Amino acid sequence: MPGALSDVKILELGELVAAPYASKLMADMGAEVIKVERPGVGDRSRTRGPFPKDDPHPEKSGLYLYLNTNKLGVTLDIATAEGLEILDKLIAGTDVLIHNIIPPEMDRVGLTYERLKRINPKLIMTSITPWGLDGPYRNWRAEDLTIWSAGGVCVLNGGGPEYADLPPLKTFGSQSGFQGGIHSAVATMGALFARLRDGDGQHLDCAMQEAIAAQLEMTFEYWPYMKMIATRLGQKPLQPVETFMAKDGYIYLCCIEEHQWQNFVHVMGDPEWAQMEIFNNRLARGLNWDALRPMLEEYVSQQTVLGLYKAVQARRVPFAPVSTMGTLLDNEHLKARGFFVEIAQPVAGTHKYPGAPLKYEKTPWGIRMPAPTLGQHNQDIYAGRLGMTAARLAELQRKGVI
Amino acid sequence: MAKQPPLAGIRVCDFTWVWAGPYCTLQLAHLGAEVIRIETKTRPCVTRQLPPWPDGQFVGLNRSGYFNQYNQGKKSLALNFKHPEAKEIARKLISKSDILINNFAAGIIEKMGFGYEEAKKLRRDIIMITLSGYGDTGPWQDYVAYGPAQVPLSGLSSLTGYKDFPPMHAGFSYADPNAGVHGAFALLTALYHRAKTGEGQYIDMSQWECAMDLLAEGILEYTMNGREPVRNGNRDPQMAPHGNFKCIDWPEKIMDMTIDRWVSIVCADDAEWGRLANAMGQPELANDPRFQTLAARKQNEDQLEAIVQKWTSARTVEDVIAILQPANVAVGAVADNRYLSTDANLTARNFWVYKDHPEVGKRQHAGIPWRMSGTPTEVRAAAPTLGQHTDEVLTSILGYSADDVASLRDLGALD
Repeated sequence: MPGALSDVKILELGELVAAPYASKLMADMGAEVIKVERPGVGDRSRTRGPFPKDDPHPEKSGLYLYLNTNKLGVTLDIATAEGLEILDKLIAGTDVLIHNIIPPEMDRVGLTYERLKRINPKLIMTSITPWGLDGPYRNWRAEDLTIWSAGGVCVLNGGGPEYADLPPLKTFGSQSGFQGGIHSAVATMGALFARLRDGDGQHLDCAMQEAIAAQLEMTFEYWPYMKMIATRLGQKPLQPVETFMAKDGYIYLCCIEEHQWQNFVHVMGDPEWAQMEIFNNRLARGLNWDALRPMLEEYVSQQTVLGLYKAVQARRVPFAPVSTMGTLLDNEHLKARGFFVEIAQPVAGTHKYPGAPLKYEKTPWGIRMPAPTLGQHNQDIYAGRLGMTAARLAELQRKGVI
Repeated sequence: MAKQPPLAGIRVCDFTWVWAGPYCTLQLAHLGAEVIRIETKTRPCVTRQLPPWPDGQFVGLNRSGYFNQYNQGKKSLALNFKHPEAKEIARKLISKSDILINNFAAGIIEKMGFGYEEAKKLRRDIIMITLSGYGDTGPWQDYVAYGPAQVPLSGLSSLTGYKDFPPMHAGFSYADPNAGVHGAFALLTALYHRAKTGEGQYIDMSQWECAMDLLAEGILEYTMNGREPVRNGNRDPQMAPHGNFKCIDWPEKIMDMTIDRWVSIVCADDAEWGRLANAMGQPELANDPRFQTLAARKQNEDQLEAIVQKWTSARTVEDVIAILQPANVAVGAVADNRYLSTDANLTARNFWVYKDHPEVGKRQHAGIPWRMSGTPTEVRAAAPTLGQHTDEVLTSILGYSADDVASLRDLGALD
């Protein structure tokens, strides 16, 4: 069965994570994506790794290979007049342009919606930028970490008494990119749905800073509602909600409701200390955490992660293993659901990758082809679709346009 | 001429609660769908009972900043499911809805009588999603999932942390909004498919699996090299400096605690390091053999960070940004909620929303992270009070008369 988006054509001018992730989400649901990369260099994610045997190679970067499944790849220097002319031809034949070219660069190459909509009035142009297309930060330099921080998440992590002197801590990976990508994919799907009704294209201005500032749990509202700064410092009000070392790894203890604590105490064999008044409700356990922590450390250190996890889950207590990459790959539940998928790519070889984020009853998620090598589909697209002659292709190649 | 928002005319029957589900239906409300939350007084949404409250204490179910953030632009229908009439109302609403969504523990929605098999009978082309912690199949499907625990479960915690310290958290229940926004993407994909084919469907979501997209680099390190990535604080293998640097604290204490302030600074290549050295007034550092190349900076990263730290620690966040951004160095405030509330960019872009709410007035709330040129989207209203739209939904959508509503209320079927 074809994917839900098999009639959608996307052109991607993407670097690193945000735009590539947005178009991957759609490609994996059946959309045709043509990814445009800079000649000779390619997407910056090709330099990010991880690389098999730690051997950096532009066709072997794990981040690139993951983010660009199911895409056709061409090279094109859009900063040249000839390159821009070819880009315009590609835009004429696409439904959606997804890019994360920063605004100063958009200005420089003339990548404006005003111009592109004259070429293709039905075009949906999704611009994913760190700070948005207007506003005072429009032209500011940004990297994933600076956006994560400026969106208001980074300040929340780390801290607690043990880490008070250490800086706010970033979450692993390129999280601003992923959040910019998925929120933009939602907006893009909204625009595609509207186009079925209205027949018109439009321009979407998606700001990564805003995608992060939109998901700060309850922390932002502490300022407008109570004039309080939400900080990573200080004690947690409720406990236990913390990571502990078991015999064979880490486990996350999580007792938020009173019955969860009672059930955990029962699993521990109803030790006498657990009946002490200083531990008799969740706020008391937070206040007396210094006394409670060593008791729990002692108990958990004698358990296995899965042994304790399954024992408390049987009583509906929401502990979780602190999964490592190894335990994820070996996990019985994820195996039963067939989460990880093997993808063979001619240069990088065959590896397991994260699979379908969701399972659809009628419109399957699927990997039809691995990420493209740099310029792999130049011939197919430029000769096959745009009708360029071999001589013209050779000339463009000589000039470095493709 | 401005047109209707993308999801105008799409109705969502929303049984979700806490954060993941409401974050999902918030995206749909942002896009113009009519989202109707089914609520009860006996088990009101957890976030209605959580801080922050304008009074500093819990004095009512409509005053939580947490609930009011993630339920903007939605309607609230309050029912009492002890009465069969309430179930009949819910069935009628499902029959008039395009999307049915819940994030209850496994088996609950079926027990209530609104599982997919039932829902399909009420509405042939319904699209239904369950946002569960572990998904609908597999040996752990019945396990309980709470927001904070999903971050370590996903694998993100074991990758996140200071060097030589234990795994850390993300600082918030990250898997929840991530699941919500992925769920919204899936529903839009299913809506697109339905518009083309007339066919509805069911979507099985595991919050855990959605979150594993976010750590693909870590997973591939393992599947390519059989090795667990090492936690390394804020550092990056290919950029240095890459971290958070302390500035001058906020001048006033909050509840006897000094609140520290930081900036993030990143140099992606040697040229950017040169610009930073110049901007710090120490141009000689650019060609210092200890720092001239990425390899050298990585080797001497402790010294490098100490130099940057010494420079920032005598300055405010605002000063550091005012010096480094004109020099084209990647810098941003490690913004806390107070800083965000007046952030020049978010303010200028009208990201913040101030809608009148009957019990808390106009409060500052986060708005929509995109702008659409052709089909403008906006937050249409503040979050609903519990049951605010019960009468409206019953009469204008479900066709009950005012008399019917009065007798349903007398019966106790409406909360």
